[in-house]
Formats: sequence, structure tokens, C-alpha cells
Amino acid sequence: MGAFLIKDIMLLLRDRYELIILLAMPFLLIAILGFSLRGIFSGDLEALEMDVALIVEDDEAQGIEMVQNSIDGMGLPQESEQTLKQAAESASPQTMLTSLLDSEEISGLVRIERMGRDQAEENLEAQSIDAIIIVPDGFTQSALNNMLFGASGGAQLELLAADGASPKSDVLVSILEEFVRTLNFESSISRLAGDTETVAIAGGIETITAQKSMTSFQYYTISMAVMFVLFVGSAVARQANLEQRQMVFERIRLSNRPPLLYLSSKAIAAAAIVSVQLMLLFGLSTLLFQTFAVDSWDFWLGIALISVVLAVSVGCLAAFMVALTLRVESDAVPAIFSAGVISLMAFVGGSFVPLDGMPESIRTIGSWTPNGAALSAYFSWMLDPDVHQLSGPLARICAVGVLFLAAALALFPRKGGAA
Amino acid sequence: MLKTDKLTKKFKDTLAVDNVSLELRKGESVGLLGPNGAGKSTAIAMISTLLKPSSGDVRIHGKSVLKDPGDMRRVLGVVPQKIALYEELSAYENLKFFGRLYGLSGKKLEQRIGYVLDLVGLSDRKKELVKHYSGGMQRRVNLAAAMMHEPEVLIMDEPTVGIDPQSRNHLLETIRRLNHEEGMTVLYTSHYMEEVEKLCDRVYIMDRGKVIAEGTKEELKAILSDQETVWIEFDQSYPELFKKLSEIEGVQHADVEERSLKLMIPKGMRLLASLFHEAERHGAQVTNVHVQTPTLEDVFLRLTGRTLRD
Repeated sequence: MGAFLIKDIMLLLRDRYELIILLAMPFLLIAILGFSLRGIFSGDLEALEMDVALIVEDDEAQGIEMVQNSIDGMGLPQESEQTLKQAAESASPQTMLTSLLDSEEISGLVRIERMGRDQAEENLEAQSIDAIIIVPDGFTQSALNNMLFGASGGAQLELLAADGASPKSDVLVSILEEFVRTLNFESSISRLAGDTETVAIAGGIETITAQKSMTSFQYYTISMAVMFVLFVGSAVARQANLEQRQMVFERIRLSNRPPLLYLSSKAIAAAAIVSVQLMLLFGLSTLLFQTFAVDSWDFWLGIALISVVLAVSVGCLAAFMVALTLRVESDAVPAIFSAGVISLMAFVGGSFVPLDGMPESIRTIGSWTPNGAALSAYFSWMLDPDVHQLSGPLARICAVGVLFLAAALALFPRKGGAA
Repeated sequence: MLKTDKLTKKFKDTLAVDNVSLELRKGESVGLLGPNGAGKSTAIAMISTLLKPSSGDVRIHGKSVLKDPGDMRRVLGVVPQKIALYEELSAYENLKFFGRLYGLSGKKLEQRIGYVLDLVGLSDRKKELVKHYSGGMQRRVNLAAAMMHEPEVLIMDEPTVGIDPQSRNHLLETIRRLNHEEGMTVLYTSHYMEEVEKLCDRVYIMDRGKVIAEGTKEELKAILSDQETVWIEFDQSYPELFKKLSEIEGVQHADVEERSLKLMIPKGMRLLASLFHEAERHGAQVTNVHVQTPTLEDVFLRLTGRTLRD
């Protein structure tokens, strides 16, 4: 067994292509995604801060007056006319918008400055601001008409964003859409309920963070690590195919060693490589990006436990791939796995994007992949280091590993058709 | 020591090996000669316990190896046609790995590695990666790896394919030494007649899956006792003359090269008068004529009507 392990690890260390795939690639992706998407994750909104010009082309007083005039012409009882006029005056959609933008929650993200259209467009061109919000002429009138009488259309805002401002502009669009939707919807509710005293914005701003206490580096270190450990399976299977093609496998068989020793050595080598790979990725990420706390032994013990279980499961996956590769006598198995299956497993396992918004079926499938279950275990441990919460994902990782091992034993050509 | 009894292998509709019975006695060197596709490698794979026969048996020291290949594997050293080594490891690392597979360790392993490296003449380059070796050097490590467990029988499947003459000679000399000086039993497979002729005491000739002749070199050449081969060399190429000579009555086979002609004729046939007559008619100058001793190539030609290179 020792001879096999030493040989497999030496071969891997001398294979630059595999080393790039297993170590350099995930680390590069952690760095790129960690830096570029750090604003998407909570507690790290600096990257999303923006300067926005506000152009108000709407005359609020005039809008209110026009709505009040139209109430006069409706022939309503005097008491109702009075109530509606007061409602029009107090609702003030423009004020609601400025209140929203000045709120503590938004002002930390968006710095608003009122300016004229020409100056705003000039600044946008010069990229000294990121976007322009335009409150168009007739905004107040449209909003009040929708609010009080249910007139179609409702209030509309305009947004001009600088080229390449995404994801900043996406965030701003989402804030404004939420405001307009809330304004129109809430006012409809108010009208139906006959409550014309005040119109409150009840919706607020949609939370755009998925995990409150997780940084982008933490997310992508874990998600890339659990994705790239799968490449160990294809690397080990590729080596087995090479051994078969070069007849080294036959030479090994001639040594009269039990055939299952070969298979088990591949599984153990894969598990050992995965353990080292995870250790290096977590360690380097922590060292260079301060991804995880270094002073918590309990935290690292939990990470180690999950890593060991994941490594064993990937070892079983590698054994399955080796058995299948030797059975079909082709390198198509590792090629298909690394070119397509891993991406698919990474997607359903949540390595690319959080699965919160995904359909239930995808989340269920993902939770039964070794990478998806491990991702869930790592996140769970990070957010709430309670060992009981790990039992579910760890049990799933083990179950999948057992299935792979059973399939490997069934497929492995113990005699290879020979005597 | 090692016997096969009516060994047969059928792949779907193709009969790759057909009732082949071989015998290797202790210490002798036996050749398995035949053209590419004759079934030699398939026969070797069955003898090596790597391929299950469709029928027939393989015995080592009188014991069948079909149910328990362990006895055979312990005494066999197999040198496959391919370079069955890890290219990314050095010769030393390869030999260490294969030695450990055979249960060697510590000082004994190091001694054995040293011995086989000396045997193949690569001690001074043992630390280099196999991928940086020439084809001939790789073939030598391929032999060394098969020797790690001190096998009694060495089976070699076309071990000199694609290597330079110097490495080829080194390899053949190593095999000769192992057989003559250390008494190792050798089964040597090749389609190079001269290698088999140089190394082997007895020869089996295979064609289309069957053994078509067997015996010592002398016994096989005796098949050609009623024939002789005349080799004629000219000052330049004369295609028309060569054609005319090939068609002389009694000529059984003609092998035309650029400026020479090899004719197989019945013993006692009077060829020279016709030869010089035709040469004079074509204005050709004969520079050399001699009667060759029959070779195994000639035997194969006689038996199959084809050359080993066909």
C-alpha cells in the first residue's frame, strides 16, 4: 500500500497540469471572485458605495394642486372632497423618495446630490458620479392619481447609469424598483381600504445579502475548494487509464498483489491528496486574505472534521472513476467528468452562486452531492459552530461515499478478463 | 518446466491463437518467431496469466495456472512490447516501486536495484526521468523491471522494436548473458529472424495463430535441405534482367533488391550458365555470386510463401 501511495503522490507532484488544476486554479478563482464580488456579501458593502445625482423635474406643489383641482370637478360630497384633498397634500410621493434616499440604511450606500440635468450628465460622462435618478415631470400627479383613484400607470422614476457600473447600478435599480413597486402597491391597498389619511411605505428595501456574517472570500474559498476537490477524482482516474494503456497496470497485476489493493490505494491516495489540497487552500486563503480566524482551535477542528469526511468521500468517488475507467478501457470517463460533470455538480452544489433562489429540486439534488453537502456543512459550521448541525450534511457525504464505493467494487475488473 | 497444451484464444469471430502447444525446458532459450499478427503476443499474454484462454492449459512445474496464477507469476519476468514504466519517475524510482510490489525492502531492495541497473548498463543514469531516456534506454529499464524479483523464466515480447542498433545489441547481449551465464530460461518473441537465430536454441514458428514448425535451428533449416539460395550482385540495377532471371524455370522464389537478386532454387539446379547468358544479353556485369546457407527467414518463406516482413 505504501509503495502505491508514494508513487501516486510523486506522480501528481510532477504533473504540472494537474497541480495547476488542483491548486492554482481554485486559488486564482478565490482571489478574483473574492475581490470582485465582495460587495455582494454582507458586512462588506464598501464596493457597492456610489455617488448619485438627483434631478427633480417634477413640480410637487403643482402636481398636488392639479390633483386637488380634479377632485373639485368630480362632484363628490364636500366631506369626501376635503378628505381626498388632505390625503393628496400629505401623501407627497416625492418626499417619500427623498426620505428613503436619506434614510440611514440607504445613505450609507448611496450619496445623493441634487443637481441640474446638464451638470449631472456632464458628471456622469466624466464618471465622477455613478448614476442619475430623474424624478420626471408629472411624477407626483401620476403617483397621487394611482394612489387616490387607481388610475393606471402609477409613478415612474428614471435612472441613468454609467457604463460598466454594474453591479452597483443593479443594486440601485433594485432599490428604486422596490420603492416604486411599494409606492404603487401600498397606495392601491390604502385606496381599497378607504384609508386616505396617510400612506406609509411598509415594504422597505429588499435585503440583498444572503448570509449576514459571511464575506466573499469565505464563501468562495469554501465553494471553490469543494468544487476543485472533485478534480482529484478525474486526475486519479486519468492516471489509472495511463497505467492501463502503458501496460503498467499489467505489470502490477503480474506482481500478484490482490487486485483490490490497487483500487483501495487509489482511493486512499485521492483522499490524502484532497486533504492536502483543502489544507493548502484554506491555509493560503487565510494567510493572504485573512479569510478565517486563526486563533480558534474549535473552529479549525470542525473544519478539519468536515474536510476529512469530504476527503474520504472523494476517495470513494475516485475509486468509482478508476473502476469505470478500467472497465471501459478509455480516458473518456475522466475527460467527461472534468469537462462537464464537475461543473454540473458545482452548480447544483452551490459553488457558483448561493442556492437560496434556486428551485427546491435543484437544492435537494445539490445537497446530495459530496461538494454540495460539504459546502452546507462548512457554512453551517461557520455561521453556527454547533456540531449537531453538522450531522445531516456529514451523513449525506458519507452516504454518497458508500454508494460510490459500492459501485466501484461492482465495476472493478478484478481479473480484467485474465486468468 | 513450462508447457502450454492446445492453447486457444478466440475473439468473437477471430481465432487469434489456435491450438498452440509449447514447451520450455529449464535453462534453454526458446524463440517464438512469426510476422506481425501471427498471434505471438496473444499467446504470451495467456502464458503470462494476463489473458484467459478460450481453451487449453498452461502449466508451470506440472501445475495448471488457470485457477491460481500465483505460481506462474512468481517465477515469470515479463518484458512487454510496450514500455511498461512510469515516464515521470526515474529508472531508480520505477525499479524501487516494482521491487516493493514483489515484497522487497531495505538493503535487499537496494542491492537488487543496483544489480539490475548494472545488468542493463544504466547505473550512472538511474536518477534521470524515464521520459528523458532514449527508446533503447527505456527498453533496457523495461527489462530491468521484469528482473527485479529474480524470475526463473524471462518472457520477452518483441523487446527490440523501434530502438537503435547499439541499444539493440546491448539488449541482446544482456539476454544472452542471462541465459548462458545465469541459466535463466528465456522465451523470446520476435519477427526479427536474426535475433531469434542469434539467441535461441529452439524455435517455434507461428503464422495465423498456429505453430507451423518447431525444432532446433538446424532441424528447421533441414526443411530446406533440397533447396539453396543464390545471391547475385550486379554493377547496377537491371529491372528487366531481374524479371527474366526470376522467371527461369525451376526458380521457386525471387527477392529483388536495388542491385542484387536472391533466388531460391532446387539443390543441384544449373543456374550459372543461364545467369551469365542473360547478363551478357542485357549488357550487365555480375560483380558477385554466392550460395547462401538457409536462414530461418528462408524456412518461413518456404512454409508460408511469405516473408516475415509481409
